[in-house]
Amino acid sequence: MDANETLNAVGMSCPMPIVKLAKKMKEIKDGDILEVLADDVGAKEDIPAWCNRPIMNFLGWKKRMEACDFT
Amino acid sequence: MPENKKVAIVVSEETFDKAMMPFIMGVTAASMGMDVHIFFTFFGLTILKKGNKPKMGGLYRLFTGMMEKRMKAAGVENLREQIKTAKELGVHLYACSTSMVVMGIKESDLVDGAEIVGAATFLDMAADSDVQLFIG
Repeated sequence: MDANETLNAVGMSCPMPIVKLAKKMKEIKDGDILEVLADDVGAKEDIPAWCNRPIMNFLGWKKRMEACDFT
Repeated sequence: MPENKKVAIVVSEETFDKAMMPFIMGVTAASMGMDVHIFFTFFGLTILKKGNKPKMGGLYRLFTGMMEKRMKAAGVENLREQIKTAKELGVHLYACSTSMVVMGIKESDLVDGAEIVGAATFLDMAADSDVQLFIG
């Protein structure tokens, strides 16, 4: 997937990557693909956990998380 | 639309770690789309005092500065920033009314946005919550 938006959370420990991600999700547009860069060890589990929450509905966002890919 | 998951947290102590924990948890939960309610009681109430800088417990208080530096190096917001973020994310901060009297804390001493309530108000909210945490 080619991302057109990037969130750089490198150097941030829990919970900051998730907090920044939630903020960033409010900014991006429908159809955008967001890439998150993080080096917090917990982020590998935390970001999928965040994706599991039906947060988009909660916040009334139209955006949908299609998938969480990890590299 | 499903109703938001609700998180209720009680904080009863004032040390650095116990001040940071509810905000780390609360801010994360709010970022996950949950409604967060944090009740500060007894010594925990001092966390809500304006300009308060909690120290580590016991002899570890001497290492508070080192801990703050390490948290900063880890890229984690400090308490003041966490309180600000919590408010931005709509986290509810409650000050225990009895503790206000016992601890001699006035409404004007509290950070902006803190609501003064009694135990019943918090319990009424906590009874309908999905997650309850006690940090004490």
